Amino acid sequence: MATLLVHIALLAYAGAAVIFLVWLARPRDRLPSWGRALLAAGLLAHLASFGVALAQVGGSPSAAGLARAGFGSLAWRGGQLFSLLAAATVAGYLALDLRYRLPVAGAFVAPLTVAVMVPAHIVQSGARAINPGLAHSAALAAHVVAAALGTAALALAFGLALVYLAGERQLKAKQPGRLFARLPSLELVDRVGWRLVVWGFIGLSVAIGTGSLVSREATGAVFIFAPKEGFAVLAWGLLATLVQARLVAGWRGRRVALLVVAGFVLLAGSYVALLASAPSGAASERKNALTQGALRKGLPFRERALFPSALRRTPRAA
Amino acid sequence: MTVFVAVGLSHKQAPIALREQVAVDADEVPARLARLKAVPGVSEAMLLSTCNRVEVFALAERAEAAADLAAELGPAAAPHLVARVEDEALRHLFRVAASLDSMVVGEAQILGQVKEAAAQAQAAGACAAGLGTAVMRALGAAKRVRTETGIARGAVSLSSVAVDLIRKVLGDLSGRTVLLVGAGEMAQLAAGELRSAGAGELLVANRSAAHAEELAARIGGVAVGLGELPALLERADVVLTSSAAKKPLVSRELLARAVKVRRYRPIFLVDLAVPRNVEPAANGVENAYVWDLDDLESVAAKNRELRAADVGAAEAIVEEELRAFLAARRERAQVPVLARLHAHAQDIAAAEAERTLQAMGPLSERQQNSLRAMASAIVNKLLHAPTQKLRDEGGGPLGQAASDLFALPAPDDREGTG
Repeated sequence: MATLLVHIALLAYAGAAVIFLVWLARPRDRLPSWGRALLAAGLLAHLASFGVALAQVGGSPSAAGLARAGFGSLAWRGGQLFSLLAAATVAGYLALDLRYRLPVAGAFVAPLTVAVMVPAHIVQSGARAINPGLAHSAALAAHVVAAALGTAALALAFGLALVYLAGERQLKAKQPGRLFARLPSLELVDRVGWRLVVWGFIGLSVAIGTGSLVSREATGAVFIFAPKEGFAVLAWGLLATLVQARLVAGWRGRRVALLVVAGFVLLAGSYVALLASAPSGAASERKNALTQGALRKGLPFRERALFPSALRRTPRAA
Repeated sequence: MTVFVAVGLSHKQAPIALREQVAVDADEVPARLARLKAVPGVSEAMLLSTCNRVEVFALAERAEAAADLAAELGPAAAPHLVARVEDEALRHLFRVAASLDSMVVGEAQILGQVKEAAAQAQAAGACAAGLGTAVMRALGAAKRVRTETGIARGAVSLSSVAVDLIRKVLGDLSGRTVLLVGAGEMAQLAAGELRSAGAGELLVANRSAAHAEELAARIGGVAVGLGELPALLERADVVLTSSAAKKPLVSRELLARAVKVRRYRPIFLVDLAVPRNVEPAANGVENAYVWDLDDLESVAAKNRELRAADVGAAEAIVEEELRAFLAARRERAQVPVLARLHAHAQDIAAAEAERTLQAMGPLSERQQNSLRAMASAIVNKLLHAPTQKLRDEGGGPLGQAASDLFALPAPDDREGTG
């Protein structure tokens, strides 16, 4: 049922993407309304799919519950993670559009959502087994939610930054193109983009903070020097600089848009690193089985939490 | 059936001097409408008087009423008047509302002006369902044209292009500060448009303080000294320059400094002077946009081309909507003939069925109803093809032919007997 709902959502998103792209080529007043309606319908189906999956695991808001809701198993699949990000981005766009009427951002969000959702539901990427010790970790649940919301806000800010750069380029070159009439004012794009950057920065800060708690629970180390964490911290550093420059020196416009693009690219690098580090599905299943064996043997909590060491102490479990 | 008549002149037939003479002031419109409606045979009338046209649209019993309506527009207008009847008159109304007959094709004002004219006619009791429906359909077609084609997109006058671009950078103009440097006519026009769009403070700078004060008083601004230009650039969001200065007043360095002090808030400079008042290189300053006359003209020319390219599509929409309206109008006109034909035939069938039933002797209720239904069905089948033909043909001669052929009673006769 949950899978069917996600497929319905994907179809609605695809329909909205087509409508928004047609609108870019042939402006008709009604098209953005239809695009919005389809995005909203898709989002409802998408959220319903999460609800159905959550109900199947008893509605627990724990990390395990979240994993089952978004991903259908205790394994985090990279593609499934993007499903959660896509839903957050669409929800964010619809909220923005309700307030500011930004159909041109819809022409960016809808195709991006489809591009993110297709691998999420057609290509079954490698799975990363959740450390059973973290299944009930509040820090992990907070980490996932903050990362999803922060990334969604920054994805929208990234889209608006591209819109800003396109509009600014046409104005500076004094050659308004075909899309110019449909672009919102630079001032609006800059203002909304800035608010999204602030929310994205807050989300990313919480995600990094809770991520270090998760890391400590799992490995004992507060910070791991791995590509995923490295990219995230670099993105955070860039955004922190941006926020400071805006507040102190009043930076805005093109230079802010360029920094937002760079920050989002760094953040995307973090997700690419996450996907690249995910073990194959078979390996993950094996790890899960080993972990379950360790738990059945009644190892102490600390050793259960420290997943790798638990494995080392159970020579031929399961 | 009443006839649709359009009589009047526009910028295509008469120069502005004559249009000024013929134009009807807003407060004179009710009296003029009363006179138009009093023309013999005229049942409804609407007067459209704008700076580009003075036209009467009316419903009359006969086409000849056009001459009497023309006389109401005065002797000066007579040599330039164009009279149109029925399909041509309606086509003209649809084209006027869709801004296809305007001096600047696609301009938005005419839609409101047609709406206003219809409202005035309605308020004066000169416009009822007949003319009202035609105007509504014309307005509907005009809206379709505006949303489905590009004829209304993009400004075509330099001042409107400038205002559109400023909005593209600054968005909402309410509360924005506008600085006028020099007293050029186009700069004043653009300042007026910005003011109408909600711009707040209007600062006027000139080499001569007296000129600045005079202009400021005229356009509702505040006079400031040209020597304060560096500080004014830090304050203003829009700068309109049209000074006769021989050298640029705003250099790249000056603007760059101002932008930094403004904490990178965007500033838009429209340079309408020749020679230019703003150094072209100033456009390279971050968050500063400098557009001169040639830049504005190139956008206006492009918009004009885009509008012209969509005129064909707009005409096709108008024609489609007009055809639909004419077909519906003719069908409505045929309804009395069709209704009388069916009623007449059903009367005959019912009478014959009753006579037959009496001759046949006692029959059950069900048998009697079957016989009546059969008689009615024969009538319907026989009349199916003629009905279709009459509907398709509209208000042409077939209606009268059917009336004569079947010797249909006149509507009044039926009402009298009914």
